[in-house]
Amino acid sequence: PKTPTLHLMERVIIAMQDPDIGLKMRNQRLLITVIPHAMTGNDIMEWLIQKYNITDEEAGHLGGLLVQYGYIYPLKEPRSLILRSDDSPYRFQTPYFWTSSRWPASELDYAIYLAKKNIRKQGELVDYEKQNYNLLHKRINHTWDFVVMQAREQIRASKQRRKADRIVLECQEQAYWLVNKPCPGAFDVFDLGPERCNVLNSRVILNSSLLFFLLRISSVPNNSLSSHFLLSLSCVCSFMKFCDQYHQHDPIMSGCLPSNPWISDDTTHWTINTDLVGTPTRLRVERWSFSFMELLNDCLGRREFMTYLEKEFSGENLCFWEACEDLRHGESSKIILKVEEVYKTFLSPGAARWVNIDSKTMERTLEGIKQPHRFVMDDAQMHIYFLMKKDSYPRYLKSDLYKNMLSKAIVPQETKKSVFPFMRRQRHSSPSPAMVSQATEDNGKAKGAGPAATNSGTLS
Amino acid sequence: MPLIINKVCDDGTTSSPITMEEGKALIESLIKVVACYRHLASCVGGCTDNLHLRCELQQTRERAHKLAVACRHHLTARLRDKTLPPEERQEMERLWVAFTSSLELLHVDMCKVLNMGSNFSLVNTSALVKTGIQGETREVAARALSLADLNRAEDPVPGSLEDLEQGQLKEEIVRVDQMLEDMEEKVNVPRWMVEARGPQYADPASMDSTSLGLYSMDEEASVQHEQRCERSQVFVILALCGVILVAAVLSVCVIYFS
Repeated sequence: PKTPTLHLMERVIIAMQDPDIGLKMRNQRLLITVIPHAMTGNDIMEWLIQKYNITDEEAGHLGGLLVQYGYIYPLKEPRSLILRSDDSPYRFQTPYFWTSSRWPASELDYAIYLAKKNIRKQGELVDYEKQNYNLLHKRINHTWDFVVMQAREQIRASKQRRKADRIVLECQEQAYWLVNKPCPGAFDVFDLGPERCNVLNSRVILNSSLLFFLLRISSVPNNSLSSHFLLSLSCVCSFMKFCDQYHQHDPIMSGCLPSNPWISDDTTHWTINTDLVGTPTRLRVERWSFSFMELLNDCLGRREFMTYLEKEFSGENLCFWEACEDLRHGESSKIILKVEEVYKTFLSPGAARWVNIDSKTMERTLEGIKQPHRFVMDDAQMHIYFLMKKDSYPRYLKSDLYKNMLSKAIVPQETKKSVFPFMRRQRHSSPSPAMVSQATEDNGKAKGAGPAATNSGTLS
Repeated sequence: MPLIINKVCDDGTTSSPITMEEGKALIESLIKVVACYRHLASCVGGCTDNLHLRCELQQTRERAHKLAVACRHHLTARLRDKTLPPEERQEMERLWVAFTSSLELLHVDMCKVLNMGSNFSLVNTSALVKTGIQGETREVAARALSLADLNRAEDPVPGSLEDLEQGQLKEEIVRVDQMLEDMEEKVNVPRWMVEARGPQYADPASMDSTSLGLYSMDEEASVQHEQRCERSQVFVILALCGVILVAAVLSVCVIYFS
């Protein structure tokens, strides 16, 4: 199972291979050898922009990721793993060296690579590579003979190829190790930072905008998608839906009407949105239609819903639900009392407000009541909750009661800003309560002294 | 003089006794075959991936398996022999470690090939990654099989071969897995205690004489550097010639006009 982002990046790479609509390939010219399948950074950017219909910045970001994770490697300056949008050359990495969480780069492989590098050219190893080599020599000393023998054999095997291929193979291997064992100080794409997350799940830490973007460009999923990918796809889709839905309702994103009290010192916004105001705002009533919890959490909404249910003679459902909530969140000392009350009012045969629960749940609950605790009514509460959600709630949204509420709801006017800026009210903070109380004290003293003074005045 | 092994081998077959040198040669062959297999595996999924490559991979695997079985017999027999002198035991343990490491590398490569083979089907060649490789791998495969050249008689059909191959590959991976497990159980060699004999930095001069100067990316850079040096030298020479020419012309003028 691949992480979803790696999977998506691989799909992008494969899309680039298409002979008709894929990336345009050029030849790399080295003195006498010509190596095909090179492309410039500019080619890559333009292809991404054109294929996925994205902006320059997004293409730069995506292309940069492809280079950082080693799917594409630069031919000039191989140690600098960035995508330049000029004519610097790049080439695709062979699938054997693609990043994989199942077969991470092993120490043995790294040792063999460094040994090969050293055998090819003495003193070829850079400082940090020499250090790593020495460290590995200590750590896996027992298999060092094998390392050297394998390194020699791998070099002998690659000598059977023609020169151009040898150059490519060396570049591929070098690129792979530059991604997996970068020089200290360089950006390590696999660095999880001080907070160690679950390695398999979050090998890639992307910001959410990039994740949305990757999802946007992914075409119809084929059946090789793992459940991991599908799960994160559904999470992100629901998150996107939530954002779209609540965008208008968020005071930071869409401003609040009539005006932001913190800026204009006008507290209308708060007064019209109090819990049990006479006429609610339109946005508030609209929110009730988003989800059932939204309706229940709003006091006014709950009251309205109760009115509606009582008209339908199913008000006991909501009362039962409220009682269960009270039980769950209430005081521990009153639990037994509350359970008894709930039983008497809602569950016992012939109860005043008997709720309709299926027999299995009823049996279980009655068993549980013998040893009452905070969560004994959970099953029954859940049953009633879903009953209301599936049955009463949609009907309420279609009912006249709700529609009247919606039409009655007010949409406050945005306060007009005055034309002349210097005519606007100066912002000042309201006086501190400590100062206010002191002022009244002083006034009291003065008033107390005043009449006495006048008295004394008149007396004399 | 070949040592006579008194104990019967694990799987019940009596193998002919092989010498220490032969055993060492077996291990070295296995290492060679594993290196070649890795080389071939790195081409899977690329633009040179074709049926021949998959065939070569299969043949290399078979050879590796044969060698591995032979090595295992030799090593287990020797290491279970309590009468082995200590220097020989040390040597055997070193070979044992080499053997297990080779098998581990082979196992990883086989798993990778299986995974890539299922992702990159040869039926749809437009999805193969353009890696810049152009040549064929038959020489590498020939080296692995210790043959002068490969015999490419039949041309197999794409779809059927791939399915067959994937199935076989899975079985072979399981076999290697089992072999590794068996070895761990039957022979008690504390791997970490084995000391390597060779030097830390391998001597490049010990490579084959058939190697004619290994090519690396720096060759291009050094050649360019040389070119640049040459160019600057040429400029200097030209400038000097120009100066001499000017001086000659001036002197001629001076002589002519005076």
